[in-house]
Amino acid sequence: MAVSAANSDNAYTAAKKKKKWQSYALFFILPSFILYTLFVIVPTIGSVYYSFTSWDGISADVRFIGLANFVEIWNSPRVHNALQNTLILTISLVVLENLFAILLAMLVDKVRWLSNLFRSIFYFPTLLSGIVMGFVWAMMLNYNFGVVNQLLAKIGLGAFTVDWLGDPRFAMLAILLSTVWKGAGYYMIIYLAGLQGIPQELNEAASIDGANGWQQFRHITFPLLAGSVTVCMVLSMISALKIFDQIAVMTDGGPGFETETLTYLIYKVGFGELRQGFGTALAMVLFFIILIITVFQVKILQKREVEM
Amino acid sequence: MSLQTRKLAIDVLILLVTVILAVIFFFPIFFNIMSAFKSNAEIMRDAVALPTSLYLESFKYLLTETNYPQAIANSLILTALSIVFQVLFIPMAGYAIQRRNARWTKFVFLYFLAGMMIPFQAYMIPLFKELKMLGLYGSLAGPIMIYVAGSVGFGSLLYSSFVKGIPAEIEEAAEIDGCSKVRIFWNIVFPLLGPVTASMVVLNGLGIWNDFLLPMLVLPSGEPKTMVVEIYRYIGEFSSRWDMIFAGTTMSVVPVLIAFIFLQKYFVKGIAAGATKG
Repeated sequence: MAVSAANSDNAYTAAKKKKKWQSYALFFILPSFILYTLFVIVPTIGSVYYSFTSWDGISADVRFIGLANFVEIWNSPRVHNALQNTLILTISLVVLENLFAILLAMLVDKVRWLSNLFRSIFYFPTLLSGIVMGFVWAMMLNYNFGVVNQLLAKIGLGAFTVDWLGDPRFAMLAILLSTVWKGAGYYMIIYLAGLQGIPQELNEAASIDGANGWQQFRHITFPLLAGSVTVCMVLSMISALKIFDQIAVMTDGGPGFETETLTYLIYKVGFGELRQGFGTALAMVLFFIILIITVFQVKILQKREVEM
Repeated sequence: MSLQTRKLAIDVLILLVTVILAVIFFFPIFFNIMSAFKSNAEIMRDAVALPTSLYLESFKYLLTETNYPQAIANSLILTALSIVFQVLFIPMAGYAIQRRNARWTKFVFLYFLAGMMIPFQAYMIPLFKELKMLGLYGSLAGPIMIYVAGSVGFGSLLYSSFVKGIPAEIEEAAEIDGCSKVRIFWNIVFPLLGPVTASMVVLNGLGIWNDFLLPMLVLPSGEPKTMVVEIYRYIGEFSSRWDMIFAGTTMSVVPVLIAFIFLQKYFVKGIAAGATKG
């Protein structure tokens, strides 16, 4: 009945609907719009403004100093060091997390028994707090009482025990390991979805034609995973740039400045040293790096997907 | 060796590699929970050894002698209320953006999506001052609003793309029967969005439960903040009371483990949805 009424009076209901929508849509969108504007956009614009000032975060004295903060960023060895650490950590993480994630996804896909249980075990660490698990890793890597050194000593490799978090050569490696452990499972889920979308016939046909396991991976599985690789690399790179919790709890940026990344520097400068003008200028740098990487990486990887 | 035994051998080999990796992956979680039931002396003597008895003193101490119970309450309130307001506001916005489909809603949509590219660190410093200006500093209302605001970008993307897949005929019929837009949305559309909502609730809820930076910055110092922030503080203050800190981390991890066991499919689905949109 309702449908026939709609047909006979189409123009009227269409006009009525449009009018109704105009007010309701506004009412539906408004709460999100107000909160988002107030607590994301306004402070972001605030950041742009403060990045040109010498504000300390407490006093009312907000002095405009032009580009001085950006000049300091350009010349500061501490910022250069942080950028270098960020670069090393990001590249290593993107490579290791994705390699591990593909390996885990292939194992979970191929394993004949308990595959759901294994998937859950690999995935679970991604659900935990970086502070909490960073502490657990710091305890495991502790020089005197940690599990890792105790195990090394027990299997007769006592000579290889190192001060993982206190030795400048190993601190970054420790952060890297704990982050790969925490992150790989997330990308595994995406790769697993990609793997399960590959028709089984392709690999069967290739194996009849005499292709070995590696050849099948190189010429069938990997090219068909390219879409997932694009997504995972962008996601892992952006999350690597934002790593904070593990550094805060495991090394506090040290020893020295060995693990101080851009994100951590923003926090230290802004809240530890009360130079919030300079901190917001650094935040602008982070923002633009993320923006450029996102645009650039998506373009390049999309092109490669087509070629493969 | 016949083809069948060879295939079995390969299967067993794959299983073996997977089991080894699974043990390595699960070990830190096991280590965390196990250590919470050991005394400090036991932890220091042999980190790998299993607890000799069920040592509950660290939990008792944490729950009676410290501010941890208040921090647990804060974590629960913050997570629950942020999620309630996210579910109240964001599906509605995603729905209206998709169904209204006018020039201004398209503009609003792009405006929301831009937020997905802004990292929290880019605006966290002025946020602090803004909360003070608005008189929200020191209350849980501030971080709740910030969490809702921060999920508008991704949330409206997720919801608007799901609404697209729902045929509009039901809504049109209901409208002709005199149903208001608000009732159409909550009684007809919202139930159909159940799976998206479930994924958003578990993933965002987890993100808030685990968050460190925001509660650390915007909740007043000198009072207990959230569980994660308190754990961070204890690491600095009670650096030699490992048993106590392990009890604290276990109380933060176990609820996540339980939620994961019961709501597994929503955790996994949310990621798949996020990846195809990301």
